[in-house]
Amino acid sequence: MKKVKKVNKELLSRETVFEEDGCIKKITLGMAEKMIDAALRWARNGGFECSVAVLDASGTVIAVHRDNLMPETLEIAIDKAYTAAAMTAPTRMMAIMTSPMTAMGVGPDGHGTSLGFRHKLRWCTVNGGIPIRQAGTSMGMKVIGAIGTSGCPSGTDDNLCSQAGATSLYE
Amino acid sequence: MEITLGIAKKLIHAGIKEALLKGNPCTIAVVDGDGWLVAAERMDGALIPTFDIARDKAWTALAFKMPSSDIYKFGDSTMPGFGFNTTGWNDRITPLAGGLPIKDGNEVIGAVGVSGNIPKQDIAVCKTAVDAIL
Repeated sequence: MKKVKKVNKELLSRETVFEEDGCIKKITLGMAEKMIDAALRWARNGGFECSVAVLDASGTVIAVHRDNLMPETLEIAIDKAYTAAAMTAPTRMMAIMTSPMTAMGVGPDGHGTSLGFRHKLRWCTVNGGIPIRQAGTSMGMKVIGAIGTSGCPSGTDDNLCSQAGATSLYE
Repeated sequence: MEITLGIAKKLIHAGIKEALLKGNPCTIAVVDGDGWLVAAERMDGALIPTFDIARDKAWTALAFKMPSSDIYKFGDSTMPGFGFNTTGWNDRITPLAGGLPIKDGNEVIGAVGVSGNIPKQDIAVCKTAVDAIL
């Protein structure tokens, strides 16, 4: 009986685990669930439904939930988070870099557009994926995972939904 | 009954509780009646490939409306379905144990797949998860 109580406590623990130096070392399942619930709540408040995925630093899914009737949004959410984790940058940045309409896309040597990634099957350079860092948002911090959203009416909404999830880590 | 996110979460949490009691970290995946993934969660300590294996098991159980380990019999040369495993029509099909269809009466409404440990323990987690919602 004692063992069962302990397990229940572990199961429900959604506390973010901070190291002594204030960094988050890794994302646990409880933390991933907390992020996804917060993101889905944000979307529900806005009146729409979406899929949210949380990945760890290896680009493997920790948890993914689909809240709507569009099956493919779940795969796209995973791919967006994978792209963010692999590039250690928001997919918003990749969208700008690969767009032929922006200054980065039409740079002197076409640097951005040459990053077309069309051969990368899992690459998704669309708004909605955000990397999660050990602490803060500085580029120098190590990426411990990523969150991706798909299914919102617009890319901006996807981004905001992911941000709502990422922010909930510090609640 | 239909597999919604709420039901899938309930199912997964029941499975996680069972897996924690036994101390076997694993991935639990739930697909709906059409074979699409609804939710999947990988526990702390579960290996990287368990996610893909768990969802493949769930899909196989749903597609054949039987436990995923039962499709081994189609590869038996004494059975009428012999040769089925050589068609290569799909890369998701797996004969690994740990995928169970969720039945509401006679109707298959979804499936659950578990990966992370030896078949016996995967099946135990599967059964606990399915029992939690029926």
